[in-house]
Amino acid sequence: MITSKSVYLLTLSVILVIYYLVCGVYLHNLGYYNHESLFYIEKAKILFEGVGNRLKVMGLTSPMIPFYATFIFTPLGFTLAPVLASAIGTGVLFYIIASTLIKRLAGDFYMWLLLAMFLFHPGILYTACSGKSIYLVLIFFFLFFLNLFKYYRSNTTFHISIASICLVTLIFCDYKFIWLTLFFLPLILSITIHSLNLGEQESIFRLFQSFNSPSLRRKLINKTFSLYIILFALPLVGVLCYKLLNLTHANDLNYFNESPYATWNVLIDKLSFDTQSTGKIYRIPEISMLVSARVLLFCPMIFVAVYLLRESTYQVLTILTPFALIEFMHIKYDKVFIAYQYYLLFIVLTFLCVIIKWQTVKNQQAFKVILAIIVLVQIYFGGYYLKTSSIAEEKNFINVLLNRTNDPSQTENVDVANYISSLPGDMRILMDDATAYPIVAFTHNIQPLILPYGNTFLSALESPDKYADYVVIATAQNALTGYTQLNNKYIISIKKTIPDVIFRKVFETNDWIVYRVISNKQ
Amino acid sequence: MNMSVPELLINDGFITKKDREEIEAFSATSGISFVKVALTFGYISRKNYERSLLNAGYTFASIRDMEFDTAVLSKTDLQFAYERVAMPLRIENNKVITLMANPHDELFLDFIRFTYDLEPEIIIASDLEIIWLSNKLLGDKYVKSAVFELLKRDPDSSAVVTFTSPQLISLFILIALVTIGMVLNFKNTSIIINVLLSSFFLIAIIFKLFLALVGSRFELHQAVTKDELKTLTEDDLPTYTILLPVYKEDKLIKKLIWNLQALDYPKFKLDIKLVIEEDDDKTLNAVKDLDFPAIFEVIVVPFHMPKTKPKACNYGLHFARGKYLTIYDAEDIPDTDQLKKVVKLFAKLPPEYICIQSALNYFNRNENFLTRMFTLEYSYWFDYMLPGLDTLDIPIPLGGTSNHFKLNELIELGAWDPFNVTEDADLGVRAYAKGYKIAIINSTTYEEANNEPFNWIRQRSRWIKGYMQTYLVHMRNPIALWKKIGWKGFLGFGFFIGATPLTFLVYPLLLTFFISYVVFDLSSIRTLFPDWVLFMAIFNLMVGNILMIYVNMMAVFKRRYYELILFAVANPIYWLMHSVAAYKGLYQLIVKPFYWEKTNHGLSKVNNSTNVVK
Repeated sequence: MITSKSVYLLTLSVILVIYYLVCGVYLHNLGYYNHESLFYIEKAKILFEGVGNRLKVMGLTSPMIPFYATFIFTPLGFTLAPVLASAIGTGVLFYIIASTLIKRLAGDFYMWLLLAMFLFHPGILYTACSGKSIYLVLIFFFLFFLNLFKYYRSNTTFHISIASICLVTLIFCDYKFIWLTLFFLPLILSITIHSLNLGEQESIFRLFQSFNSPSLRRKLINKTFSLYIILFALPLVGVLCYKLLNLTHANDLNYFNESPYATWNVLIDKLSFDTQSTGKIYRIPEISMLVSARVLLFCPMIFVAVYLLRESTYQVLTILTPFALIEFMHIKYDKVFIAYQYYLLFIVLTFLCVIIKWQTVKNQQAFKVILAIIVLVQIYFGGYYLKTSSIAEEKNFINVLLNRTNDPSQTENVDVANYISSLPGDMRILMDDATAYPIVAFTHNIQPLILPYGNTFLSALESPDKYADYVVIATAQNALTGYTQLNNKYIISIKKTIPDVIFRKVFETNDWIVYRVISNKQ
Repeated sequence: MNMSVPELLINDGFITKKDREEIEAFSATSGISFVKVALTFGYISRKNYERSLLNAGYTFASIRDMEFDTAVLSKTDLQFAYERVAMPLRIENNKVITLMANPHDELFLDFIRFTYDLEPEIIIASDLEIIWLSNKLLGDKYVKSAVFELLKRDPDSSAVVTFTSPQLISLFILIALVTIGMVLNFKNTSIIINVLLSSFFLIAIIFKLFLALVGSRFELHQAVTKDELKTLTEDDLPTYTILLPVYKEDKLIKKLIWNLQALDYPKFKLDIKLVIEEDDDKTLNAVKDLDFPAIFEVIVVPFHMPKTKPKACNYGLHFARGKYLTIYDAEDIPDTDQLKKVVKLFAKLPPEYICIQSALNYFNRNENFLTRMFTLEYSYWFDYMLPGLDTLDIPIPLGGTSNHFKLNELIELGAWDPFNVTEDADLGVRAYAKGYKIAIINSTTYEEANNEPFNWIRQRSRWIKGYMQTYLVHMRNPIALWKKIGWKGFLGFGFFIGATPLTFLVYPLLLTFFISYVVFDLSSIRTLFPDWVLFMAIFNLMVGNILMIYVNMMAVFKRRYYELILFAVANPIYWLMHSVAAYKGLYQLIVKPFYWEKTNHGLSKVNNSTNVVK
């Protein structure tokens, strides 16, 4: 019976993966890319084909787990690898949720509901077909909360440890989740109070009782502290070790999070905000209270979840922690728009609540109708939020998907890459992949490229005449021109320091110029 | 003088008529003499027994130095002498000089008359003295069997030979290859060794984490539930032998009696044997001096090398009457319902399960740093690792005590290897190799954690030496072992038994490298190892340490020993102590492989309470 269920789920998941792959490859052929996947493609190329300090690229490219997950698929094609990873990963996410569902729910209705979301929710399609790492975030976020709820029920160390391991993985999928630990601090106390053997049921009175009895107080403190350690020791120590690794290999504790060579979103977040806030229509990031309201609109199932968990305060608090997280992120990263993936968290979380608490509802028929309506609303708002997103690549995704027209956003980068690929093999091309990683990602052979991970980059930067035959420069129109040394100012400064060198423009697009480096001494 | 011993005892008020009836009924069914039942099933203390006989005009003789005639002795079997607490010594003046604890034991008197065709001349002696002397004089055959039985029956499983010739040759070839490699290309050889060690460490640690997670998955699973226990009736319960091998544990005897009395098992179905070495007068005298009734029999193991616990257990096995058998240390406090649980579980399990291991933990865990660390270690080992191994069907290295056997199958296996100093771990693997299985039960025995560093190192060096012995014994023919226990068992055995001593031996070396690298930033280390090797090694060291610490934390969290959780951080220091013990164990493995490092018990100042399971 169990085997047949697994086979049934596996078949469904495989069909879904095929569906996602068809969409993903189709979008890929239309030229849809995003910064994250291009960044992974570039780093994977460096690892496979590059010459230089590849160990640093391999160890310190962040977020680490999504990069490795994409890396696995690179033998099937560099540019296709992120799409393959996200399509298969979303299939895995479906399998995990569905297998949790099938263990707890009788009847096919909920499975149909889940399938509907995985087939039609634009956010899930974005997760599966974009090549971004949202699927990993959703998988580990779901597993983290699933194990937490299992712990609430069984009080077993196993589940809390697995939750902790999932939290570690989640943090290494998206470093911002480190802040989730902050909001678990008060929650853990609440969990501990609940787990004490007291006659009193009301949380506040339980707290009062625990604080006024010396033995209970000691037990409460010990248990709370132990729970903190069991849940947070691994993530915090994991991050600490990773930071030490950064320190020893890049002389910077936060290299993985702050260097554009290590992670894709440093510049993209800045770019995203700059573009929006300095554009014709000035758009400020979401106003604080409205972020939560936007979440409620995006995922009304949260009301159902709160209703289902209403009898235990700490469980309601548990599902409210992601709200605290996004509100906090909104304050902490005030110049960054809340990415779509943080809204999606609520979709999987609330569905989890339905899975674990559906049986508490007496009128199942009405409950199912409400759920079906909510899923429809969620699908609608999923599309609406993507369409009206403040982040360009999110908006771009839905446009390409719905209009099925070629995506021109990477055309320039492809053109530059094609030009570089057409150059003779022994030519050396100086580039800064902090901003030019999309070009590297599209370049056929990266061995002629002199990039920052290589040993000769700094020398080539100072004496391009000796080390490089070509140099790729970001134009003044390039939005990222301020974040790279290889921009217009570089040409001027080099001409001042090395008067003999001549830069001849050989290829030009809006954002990039390729110069031939000619030394008069030659 | 004409009054029989039972009458005397009733007359003096030491037993009641009902007691007498019970004793006689049990004596008739079991073949054990009246006086032995009275003295070893909690009816009368030895002091009172002596008092009663002295009041009646009997005198107790000192018998240890008495003359004996081997021809006379040869006609009496030790088992019979042991059951009747009597033995003939020599023939003098046409009478058989006979030592007896009960001068009115007609069965034994008839045996003397019938065997020697002479009348006996009775010398009254303390039952313990008679047991001591009878074992010493008549126990030669049994002790030889205890030492050499496994060697005779299955020489390949005996640790009497530490290193076989092929093992020595392989070892020397390996050393030679490393030396040649070092001479020809020092750097590359060092890198290869480092990479191999690092990978090995990481795999071993991930394997342990995996086991711990698998084990913890079933932490709510109860092999035997309380409801199942309630269905057991007294008639379902078989005779249960408990072996208590002790050496110079005089301080613990009173505690021992208290703990044994708390066991929830019918008195007459218990067969408790305190196994004492011949030269251990301290313990014997402590038993003699008890002023309350004992509930165990005493067996004295005649002197024979090697002087090890497994040899004592093998010797005790000859006298076991039970269907099942378990071993406890003198200071052990088992859950009171442990024996019943085991009976129930054996009834539930398929016949190939011949052993059930209980969890071990410590009652004095908060005494000092060492006891805390020990508790962390044991919690992780018995609550996570062994259930993990059990779930994955990998050979379980049995713990030192609280392993419950089916007696017949244990004997069939060849019992414990007297030359192996971790005979329990060895027996676990041997059982798997012979197609048997071991199960884990949800019952705990609380022991005394070693609270003194040198005592700890002595104990640990023996354990690690034993693991090395066990590994060497079972790896004499790796292919045969692979075929017997399958690839999972083979790898599990390698990573569990083989890897444990190796990790402790290598740990300080790698730690020294790391500290030199971090603190002194030795440039020579950087030149010796390329970046990727250092990256891997540091990753392993960090991740490995963290994971092991975390697993320890998980285990004490499960046991609700919240106050110990932070002590898990001190594990790297604790492992250094293991390394000291590992080097000591390695040294002893080479120079005196069978030497049994005695662990002193009774050092704890913590009062242990009986662990009553309600």
